[in-house]
Amino acid sequence: MAIPAVAVYSFLYLYPAIQNLAYSFERWDGVTKPQYVGLHNFTYLATNDDLFRKIVGNNIRFTLIVVIFQTALSLLFATFLLKNTKTTILLRVIYFFPTILSSVSVGLIWTFLYNPNFGFLNASLKAIGLNKFALNWLGDSKYSLYAIALTQVWFHTGQMVIIYVAGLQQIPADLYEAAEVDGATRWQQFKNITWPMALPTTAVVVAYTTIQSFRAFDLVYSMTQGGPLNSSDLIVTSIYNTAFSSFKYGYASAQSIVLIVVVLLVTWLQRRTLRIDYGVK
Amino acid sequence: MKTKGRTSLSALRMGAVTAIAMALVATTITSTQAAATPKFGVACTTEGVSTGTSTTSLVCQKNSAGKLVWANVRLGQSTGKPVAALTAAAGTIEFHHFRPEDKAVFQTIIDRFQAANPGTHINQVIMNSGDYTNLAYARISANPKAAVFVTVRGGQFAQFYNGGLLKDLSAERFVKQNVIQSALTPGTVGDKVYGVPYQSLFNDPLYNAEMFAKNGWTVPTTWTQTLAFCKKVKAAGIIPFAWPAATRGNAGQILNSFLMNSAPDLATLTSRIAAIDTGKADLTSDWFTDIANKYKAMNDAGCFPPNVTGYTDVVAPADFAAGKAAIYPTGTFGMSTVTNLNPSMKGKIKLMSLITVDTKPLYEGITNNTFILSVNAKSSARDQNIARAFISFLATAPIAQLYAVGTSQHVSIINVDYSANIDLLNTSDIMGKKLLLAPRFLFNNVGTVRNPLEDALIAIGGGADVTKTLADSSKTIKQGLGA
Repeated sequence: MAIPAVAVYSFLYLYPAIQNLAYSFERWDGVTKPQYVGLHNFTYLATNDDLFRKIVGNNIRFTLIVVIFQTALSLLFATFLLKNTKTTILLRVIYFFPTILSSVSVGLIWTFLYNPNFGFLNASLKAIGLNKFALNWLGDSKYSLYAIALTQVWFHTGQMVIIYVAGLQQIPADLYEAAEVDGATRWQQFKNITWPMALPTTAVVVAYTTIQSFRAFDLVYSMTQGGPLNSSDLIVTSIYNTAFSSFKYGYASAQSIVLIVVVLLVTWLQRRTLRIDYGVK
Repeated sequence: MKTKGRTSLSALRMGAVTAIAMALVATTITSTQAAATPKFGVACTTEGVSTGTSTTSLVCQKNSAGKLVWANVRLGQSTGKPVAALTAAAGTIEFHHFRPEDKAVFQTIIDRFQAANPGTHINQVIMNSGDYTNLAYARISANPKAAVFVTVRGGQFAQFYNGGLLKDLSAERFVKQNVIQSALTPGTVGDKVYGVPYQSLFNDPLYNAEMFAKNGWTVPTTWTQTLAFCKKVKAAGIIPFAWPAATRGNAGQILNSFLMNSAPDLATLTSRIAAIDTGKADLTSDWFTDIANKYKAMNDAGCFPPNVTGYTDVVAPADFAAGKAAIYPTGTFGMSTVTNLNPSMKGKIKLMSLITVDTKPLYEGITNNTFILSVNAKSSARDQNIARAFISFLATAPIAQLYAVGTSQHVSIINVDYSANIDLLNTSDIMGKKLLLAPRFLFNNVGTVRNPLEDALIAIGGGADVTKTLADSSKTIKQGLGA
């Protein structure tokens, strides 16, 4: 019974993955015959490619921002949307709405919002006298990465709210009733009941958000194309450019192997941290 | 700009072998000149004005004595009398291209082609230009049904040629006799033609002629005048150059103008570009630093809008169309965007040369081919037949004219009359100037060299430090080339 599934999996996933691994040891432009170069692509990445190291740094910063803010906001919103009333259901729909939009549309909308000369964000800041905070959000290398990270948070928080709501609704109501009888404040209830009980859901949200952040491509591509001067370039946009603009498929494959390793490492660290936190050895 | 209709004159016979191509000089007749019927050899008043782009058209230009007289429009040449389109076999093929904006006009042409060839079907497969650059080769090489497709001059054309995907079209009569021979260069390797460059465009800044006239501004013709112009226009509350620096693709068009007069001759320019493209020279070279300094000078002179590095190619044409900007420095391909945004801009757009030297310029403008039509060498013989027939159909004057008028772009096919599109006619005078085939596309390493190079110039145009930016980008390019 498992053989067809294994065959399909092998054909669609395993074979391309192995092929990608094989390419990572080659120099190949997609046209001429691939040339075996051993570990050259990996050693060059590690020792000579300052831009890729900068991009890995960009991606780690991007991921940290997105994971922290997306997780915190989605947990916060979810705690207010637990009860199944008409209002909370409507709010869940509203929060979830950005998730169903096309990422290119989201990129375009936010590019307008961020427009330094007439965008809504700067216009609002100027309207309340905060002119010095009206920045060239996407056109300045100091801010572009953070501007896109904020868009990513807006784009995906609603999705995580739904996951949190589902997780938090599993917490027995009598725990809160008992806490209230004991005189626990809302903060104490959150700290001692909600947070520990939500850790498994948090682990899922954090892992999912991390992977999502390391795979981010569409928003970057549609908003800045990685610019200015690679300040908002992420690993996947770099892989795309290396493969399809520079036609270095072998080198791009090596970059994608690095991506896999980084994601595995970060996810493993997160899992380990969260497990320790809730007592599972 | 006030425009009156063109006037056809009695036939001015061309040689039997020479057929008409496109006018090299053509603009509308101004009201002052329209008053007197233009006659060959008779004095005229405004240089560059022409009566149209047909065989019988005249152009006002200086004669050997330096006097302005009506002369024959200089025509491009094919090598014979134009031939009719080939007949296609029955069958279905795909036409891959990156021109979603041309979808409707291509469909009209395809419908006519299918009506003329019952049983033949062509399906358009369209990607945006970015995806096409990156993905077309992989998709088309794996798909023999993609029997007719387009490539971009330079790196992509070379990629398809190296991959053995381009069918030799040298022997086709429609290639020899319907296409302006000088326009074939981008589709030629050695002495063989592997593609027909179809759409001719001019990557020179567009300007609002009405705004210039109202304000009494003249088009700057030297570098010093350009910087002075920027200061004057900015002082009037108008954006001098609506440069879409946030969008690399269109922001890079201006680089063509900076390159065209940056070297004493074409050979030197080509070798300097090749040196950077292969890592033999750095962006920190004196030559390239001088170019970068000019971007900085434009920024300092207020040529660009505030926060230009966040100024996108959505906002730039909108500002130009709305009369907030005097110049939109992209090219003729941007005209239809502008007139779609503001139909009242029709007839007001002209092309200018961005001259970045104070001496006599080597070149006065940029030309290029948007795409080259080719036949897939890996398709079946029947599908190749359909593909050839389709290209030959596109290469007939009535169809080329339909495409030109429908897309507001010039074409490299002979006998095409642009009179039906005022903006094409108004911008045709650029063809009478000394033009350089867009040098920006001589950078073959798009991802590794051209993109970081243009990113550096964009940052500098936005006010970044020239020395540091060029040094950092040079390092990135060198490391990229070594990978």
